[in-house]
Amino acid sequence: MATIAPNSGGSGEILPMTPSLPVTPETSSGVAASSQSAQPPSSSSDIECIYVPSYSRWFSWTDINECEVRSLPEFFDSRSSSKSPKFYLYLRNSIIKQYRDDHPRKISFTDVRRTLVGDVVSIRRVFDFLDSWGLINYSSSTSAKPLKWDEKEPGKSAGDAASDPPTTVKETAKRICNGCKSICSVACFASEKHELTLCARCYVRGNYRVGINSSEFKRVELSEESKAVWSEKETLQLLEAVMHFGDDWKKVAPHVTGRTEKDCVSQFVKLPFGEQFDKDSDSEDASETFDLVKGSPDPESEGRIRDGSSPNKRMKLTPLADASNPIMAQAAFLSALAGTKVAEAASRAAVTALSDVDHEADKNAGGDPNRQEINGGSSGETARNDSERALADAKSLIEKEEHEVEGAIREIVEVEMMKIRDRIVHFEKLDLEMERSRKQMEEMKNLLFADQLNIFFHTRRARKAEDRVEC
Amino acid sequence: MKASGSTGWKGPVKFRMPTAENLVPIRLDIQFEGQRYKDAFTWNPSDPDSEVAVFAKRTVKDLKLPPAFVTQIAQSIQSQLSDFRSYEGQDMYTGEKIIPIKLDLRVNQTLIKDQFLWDLNNFESDPEEFARTLCKDLGVEDPEVGPAVAFAIREQLYEVKTLIAIQNVASARESRLTKKGRRGSDHGSASKASGLSMDLVKLFSFKSSVVRKRKDLDVYEPVVDLLTNEEVDALEAREERHAR
Repeated sequence: MATIAPNSGGSGEILPMTPSLPVTPETSSGVAASSQSAQPPSSSSDIECIYVPSYSRWFSWTDINECEVRSLPEFFDSRSSSKSPKFYLYLRNSIIKQYRDDHPRKISFTDVRRTLVGDVVSIRRVFDFLDSWGLINYSSSTSAKPLKWDEKEPGKSAGDAASDPPTTVKETAKRICNGCKSICSVACFASEKHELTLCARCYVRGNYRVGINSSEFKRVELSEESKAVWSEKETLQLLEAVMHFGDDWKKVAPHVTGRTEKDCVSQFVKLPFGEQFDKDSDSEDASETFDLVKGSPDPESEGRIRDGSSPNKRMKLTPLADASNPIMAQAAFLSALAGTKVAEAASRAAVTALSDVDHEADKNAGGDPNRQEINGGSSGETARNDSERALADAKSLIEKEEHEVEGAIREIVEVEMMKIRDRIVHFEKLDLEMERSRKQMEEMKNLLFADQLNIFFHTRRARKAEDRVEC
Repeated sequence: MKASGSTGWKGPVKFRMPTAENLVPIRLDIQFEGQRYKDAFTWNPSDPDSEVAVFAKRTVKDLKLPPAFVTQIAQSIQSQLSDFRSYEGQDMYTGEKIIPIKLDLRVNQTLIKDQFLWDLNNFESDPEEFARTLCKDLGVEDPEVGPAVAFAIREQLYEVKTLIAIQNVASARESRLTKKGRRGSDHGSASKASGLSMDLVKLFSFKSSVVRKRKDLDVYEPVVDLLTNEEVDALEAREERHAR
């Protein structure tokens, strides 16, 4: 696999040869991830992930998109010489960079305008634009909070027919208690006469004005108002959050818009994907099936084959979800999403395909009897055999890769040696040249010396002749 | 180079900031109920006045100031803007006018001292660009320094311009009273009276060299200092004492 041509004496460098892992197209490059749909990246959990809503997928560091030109025309109509697109790019990129440097802290307009060179009104416009498009200060819980500048949103969305700014008002039914200024969740007490809304605690404590009688309050059940059925989007968010945060429900709850911790936990327990993590579903096939099944990712009904070990769902979730191998994490996530039946079928198909390939190119000595036994009974297998076979196949794959790596390293070493040899030859040639020129220099020095002597003698002779003539 | 006193004299222009962007420097220093809010930024006077209220509300919200600050901030900005607008009606005389700009500011922990010459009548000048380049060249890491430098330059340009405008008004009134002569002579007297501009002609005459005199070298060199926290505290305490 070495593709380097050895240069003689040149500055040829060998590119680092890494056994190429198939890189999934959605891996984020650390904090500088520019655009992603709202999916967790499959890289390791050390790198912080910045979420960007999918309607802002157009964002790129070096380009200006049409919606930006439309929303902020002042920078693009060349009305003033310094409000140029370059200035806009500078403002936008510095704002976003500043936000991402300090993520997850929300960045305020004043922070930004203090550090940017320019007039504050333009800065504010760019800041508002980025804020409303979720490129800064975006977290799934903000969409539930009412924005102060909500009046701008309908104006903008009316203008941009093609673009799709976020809908900020999700739950109109969130009620704030007049007494303690907290959000009422379970039940609240409303008094039509005095237009007051109190949470249960305030009502019981009598935390309202003196003139109001407690009988004037009517009990309003809020649990009916919140959706009992979980939408697709919420389930997706829940799964993302759980994969990311694991057991920390305090962090999961804000990620899932509009659900409390308790809701999240209860919903998660209800989701029937515990068995998924016993199987080893291959990434490519799983992603294919996911594409096909995209329309209906609802978790299937129960009654799946439970393996001998009935796993604790959460325990199974973490080992694969945190796998440093991005493929495994992706596979785990996709299989959770795709449903039991689909994942099972996919894994079976994938493993069969793999075993066929192996069967043809039967190289490895180790693990053979195990595999042949499995190959013999390839029809009518249960889930357990599938996983064992997959394990053996994985092992053989690993061994093959090791061999390949060794071969590659050997070749690298050979090429390096050749290069060194060539360099030595080149240097020897240079050395020779040096010697030759030194010799020439010596000769010339000698000649010069001889000439000097000649001149000296001649002058002496001339002087002697002069003296004789004079005398 | 022509040796006449008014090289490049053009007709009168409406008053504006002598920069590519007509931005006004706004300085805020509000004391209220024991809280002090100091700030400085640039404002575009062609923006609608509704922006003032929005900006004031935004700032108060971001900095978590008491809500009474909103009206105070808005008022202060409005008054400075209207000052600027009152000058806008007058005419300015353009011509070459070099003034020295001095920078002596402290932003968080960075101290900058610098002096350089600026052409007041170069309407393409860009203090923001200058500030950006200055910070980049001097390797200033604190991003708040850039806007502060741009603001300082703008403020000084604005001061000189208003000074000239005031003097113009005063001398124009005088000339009307005494029925003196042409506008040209007024212009000459006004510029000399300000005493700030330097005569480039004198600087670059054939007798003296273009190279700056040695004693001026230190003055015209930028100095950037990074202070430690204690020094910052000491300086702040001294400033407050002076203010009182």
